[in-house]
Amino acid sequence: MATLVVPAPRSQRHKELRRHLLVYAGLTPFLVIAVFPIFWMAITAIKQDADLYLVDAVPFWFRQAPTWKNFDFLFHNTSYGAWIVNTMLISFWVSAITILTAVPAGYALARLRLPFAENLGIGIFMTYLVPAIILFIPLARVVSTLDLQDSWWALVVVYPTFTIPFCTWLLMGFFKTVPFEIEEAAMVDGCGQFGALLRVVLPVSWPGIITAIIFSFTLSMQDFLYSLAFVSISEEKPVPLGVATELIRGDIYFWGSLMAGALLVGVPVAIVYNLFLDKFITGITGAAIK
Amino acid sequence: MSWWRTPTARRYLFGYTLLAPAVLYVGLLVGVPFLFSLYLAMSDASVGSPVARFVGIENFASALENAVFYTALRNTIVFTVGAGILKGLLGTTLAFLLLQPFKGRKVIRALVVIPFTLPIAVSVLGWKWMFDSQFSVINWALSRLSLIGTYGSPDWPVWLGQPGLALLSVMFVNVWRGFPFSAIVLLAGLTSVPPEILDAAKVDGASFLQRFRKVIVPMIAPILFIGSAFDTVFTLSDLSIVYLLTNGGPDGATEILPTLAYNTGIRGGALGRGAAISLFLFPLLLPAIILLLRTLRRRQY
Repeated sequence: MATLVVPAPRSQRHKELRRHLLVYAGLTPFLVIAVFPIFWMAITAIKQDADLYLVDAVPFWFRQAPTWKNFDFLFHNTSYGAWIVNTMLISFWVSAITILTAVPAGYALARLRLPFAENLGIGIFMTYLVPAIILFIPLARVVSTLDLQDSWWALVVVYPTFTIPFCTWLLMGFFKTVPFEIEEAAMVDGCGQFGALLRVVLPVSWPGIITAIIFSFTLSMQDFLYSLAFVSISEEKPVPLGVATELIRGDIYFWGSLMAGALLVGVPVAIVYNLFLDKFITGITGAAIK
Repeated sequence: MSWWRTPTARRYLFGYTLLAPAVLYVGLLVGVPFLFSLYLAMSDASVGSPVARFVGIENFASALENAVFYTALRNTIVFTVGAGILKGLLGTTLAFLLLQPFKGRKVIRALVVIPFTLPIAVSVLGWKWMFDSQFSVINWALSRLSLIGTYGSPDWPVWLGQPGLALLSVMFVNVWRGFPFSAIVLLAGLTSVPPEILDAAKVDGASFLQRFRKVIVPMIAPILFIGSAFDTVFTLSDLSIVYLLTNGGPDGATEILPTLAYNTGIRGGALGRGAAISLFLFPLLLPAIILLLRTLRRRQY
């Protein structure tokens, strides 16, 4: 077939160009809708207050000099610094709990040919779908029994209810791709099953484990309901809750600082999530593609 | 040699030991609370009094007698179905666009998925500012294009303050956040259809429509089911968009079951009634969960 095609570079290039233009034209509205809110938040964050409320001039650029004072306000007049520390500590402990439980579980489900392994795996994954809105009231009782209300430790206890199911499933898929031979070789060399896991399988599995840590972080950052229900003391709040509740005083919205505080944490999370998005999609649809 | 010394038994023991922490954690903090919520829903538990009395189906019955409950139920369904259809349409369009080879594809894909990757509370705050009753940038643009009147005139839309518009606005934010997810899930499905199969169908004389119905749809159906099941569960159970934008208002126009459950159970302190309201979500969630379970299991074997 290919030999019969007469090369027609010029018209072909035109066709390519037209196709590109069509695709770009189709994508433009999507891009504008997706990106404009971020642009608007960013520009709001560094505008002066008075600049926000000038209704006559075009609002898409600065009418007055840009300023960092909204960021100053966050760090000097609110507990923003504490919220960042809380968020990091929560994410750290949630990741630790998740890795310590999901790595062994994912490994056992993927490689030890256990009876009921598939059903158990699906069962654990299904718990990811029991939504927070059904669990938050009984968990409020659990939190108060543990005497953790109004402490960010409550969130450390609760977030693994969704990170463990997700990461177990993700790691199960990951461990299935590690060749069986390397484990068998290690066991022939005198390692026990546990020794093989520790010395041979884990060292080659770090990409999967890093991915699981990333998702423990980003999924923890996506929560709003649990923090809203369990933490009401300002100093104990994580960033999303703190920004959403402490920068609105009655009817007064500190829009500049609100946007500054939201983006300062939102943008890094979005970037990391973006880089790992394909792994997230594989994580939840993996079984359907295989 | 006793059975528990055999290599198989030892492998099982080792395996279930490794599984135990995860299963226990999830069992204790998802399974038990779920059962506990059934119990709470049938008690008069409240934040103030630790001792709860069994009241049977009283909480469910009192929810059903409350007019606000029906508004919330109706809004939940309108919200989920309406936003679901829009996300499906927009997501499919975007997926087919992103499937084309073109320059800058990776960059555009990364930009267009931003709404899904931003933490939800963060982006909703941005929308709250864009929907501001007086300084809304959307209104500024529409007003300059003479599509709406000036501030204070009856043609000036107050997005979060007028009942019909408020429901549309919260739906719009949900669609904004969800359409990239639909597109990326669909894209993953479409790229998993091997081109050879499509070429073979083409050689056999199948038209585009036939190829689409007989080859593409059956191959991407499972992944579509999973994507939409996830999206449905997250949309049904998400409270942050409504809570932060309108908190159910104006006058109950955007009240959904999650906000009603939160405001009754935590704010109002009536744990039992709140738990009962949130359990009304379960029958709505069930079709999505069953669909997902069946898809997952069929593909496993």
